[in-house]
Amino acid sequence: MSVIEISNLTKYFKDVKAVDCLSFKVDKGALFAFLGVNGAGKSTTINIMCGQLSKDEGKVIIDGVDIDKDSASVKNKIGVVFQNSVLDKSLSVRDNLQSRASLYGIVGENFENKLKELSSILDLGNLLKRKVGKLSGGQRRRIDIARALLHDPKILILDEPTTGLDPYTRKMIWKVIDKLRDENDVTIFLTTHYMEEASDSDYIVVIDEGKVLAEGTPLELKNKYTGDYVTLYGIKEEEVKLLKKPYKKIKDAYRVFIEDTSEATSLIMKHPKIFQDYEIIKGKLDDVFINLTNKEIKEGGDYSEDINGTSEA
Amino acid sequence: MKTLMELVKRNIKMFFSDKGMFFTSLITPIILLVLFFSFLGKIYVDSYLNMMPEGIEIDSSLIHGLVGGQLLSSMLAVCCVTIAFCSNLLMVQDKVTGARKDLTVAPIKKSILSLSYYIASFLSTLIICFVALLAGFAYLAFVGWYLSFVDVLKIMLDVVLLVMFGTALSSLVNYPLFTSGQGSAVGTIVSSGYGFICGAYMPIASFSPILQNILSFLPSTYGTSLLKNHCTDSTFKALLDEGVPKEIIETMSNFLDCNIYFFDHQVSILVMYLILIGSTLLLVGLYIFINKRAKRV
Repeated sequence: MSVIEISNLTKYFKDVKAVDCLSFKVDKGALFAFLGVNGAGKSTTINIMCGQLSKDEGKVIIDGVDIDKDSASVKNKIGVVFQNSVLDKSLSVRDNLQSRASLYGIVGENFENKLKELSSILDLGNLLKRKVGKLSGGQRRRIDIARALLHDPKILILDEPTTGLDPYTRKMIWKVIDKLRDENDVTIFLTTHYMEEASDSDYIVVIDEGKVLAEGTPLELKNKYTGDYVTLYGIKEEEVKLLKKPYKKIKDAYRVFIEDTSEATSLIMKHPKIFQDYEIIKGKLDDVFINLTNKEIKEGGDYSEDINGTSEA
Repeated sequence: MKTLMELVKRNIKMFFSDKGMFFTSLITPIILLVLFFSFLGKIYVDSYLNMMPEGIEIDSSLIHGLVGGQLLSSMLAVCCVTIAFCSNLLMVQDKVTGARKDLTVAPIKKSILSLSYYIASFLSTLIICFVALLAGFAYLAFVGWYLSFVDVLKIMLDVVLLVMFGTALSSLVNYPLFTSGQGSAVGTIVSSGYGFICGAYMPIASFSPILQNILSFLPSTYGTSLLKNHCTDSTFKALLDEGVPKEIIETMSNFLDCNIYFFDHQVSILVMYLILIGSTLLLVGLYIFINKRAKRV
């Protein structure tokens, strides 16, 4: 069941078409990655979903509610962690959360209970009295997430939530997100530039210039827009040439580019002596992203020419 | 209602915790105090003494009480408006920092948000003005206290009305501002210019007739005059009791802007109140109107 349905969404900023007939769906409880280079239209789309921007055309349905018909109800279903922290730096964490909770009618005892719950999930105990402006980037991010979760949203929008954070904090944040999905069935709408984070998602949409460039599960995208490669150790270049595949010399080894794992299997069967010490590595989401956004996509994901042209030793 | 209260609390805390914004709002009253205690006060004392007819012995505390009343009314007149402008800059700052986005991502009505800025700015300004009022009363008690209990109540009412007016005006002026540069520009212009146009540094009566006529169109002029009347009224009565001729009292009242003229017509106290209240209601109405009409980009 879809919790977000966007169809033919279009948004102009004067003559610039920031979002161009964008359509996609997000399943309930899914981890959805919304990818694209800076300026691709991600934030504009999010701002329209949150009621911050108006749209020029199209429809946005959040959990069955049309944002044009009942934006207040939609706002109650969405929690947002903005790209940059937008909490009041001169106020304490507690004051910040208290004022934001009141926006959803959460006051008095209800707020105290919610604060207790969030404190235990996000380990806020010793931060509550400190001013937000005095916190580290990681601590501030935890507060941003707490703020987004104050009203138990069904959808959590994370706009580059882990950018600039240390690995420990990133891990902690992802632990919280996973917990929310497992226990509360919260749908996560993620934008990120860290492809290893997107690779854990259930579904990915890549946009560019406001249009959908590609979509699918991480595996589908990898299969379609990248190839695998085999790294061969302890062999000579003449032997690699026998494989008749594009390759690249790396330190103490050769990297041979192949279409997929089945091609690797047939090469191994054909040249067992060459494949004494090797590893097969599947294409990465980074490659998918770069291939999609750096060059024109040809149907069938034909990328081998590009590799031949640029990386042969 | 609780949401509104929490937002008002947040806005007031924001203003008082932002030391830069807080001290900027005090620039105009500080300039006024420096001017008064460095030379203006002495000039006024000397000029009032010179106005006294020969043969009448005046208690110096009366003249000092009058000048003190003039200082207090001028200070309150600027504080009520300039502090309201600075505290209301929070609505601009929220746009700059992105906090506004965080507030409006929640299902909050625009009217509640706008009202929270108005009430918070009104209360923040009122707190500072009442502190200034208490300090002014202490100063008057030291140099010469002639105020009656009714005068004190009237001054407090004037302060409340003028703060309501200043907050309404600043809400309207600050509403379309989006950058900190625009906010600073408005803050600087108001802080540096308002002291002159409200007659705090120099009485309006000492300006050219053309300028006086222009200033008579500003509702704040009548707010300042109300304060000047109520801060000096009892002192003038005491001077009259001391035998100072009515004509001289009238001249001094004119000089102090207690009597304000709309072209050649003297404006009564009641009309001054009506102008101040009416213009405040009009500004608040306009503020509500533009907030309701505002659309998303």
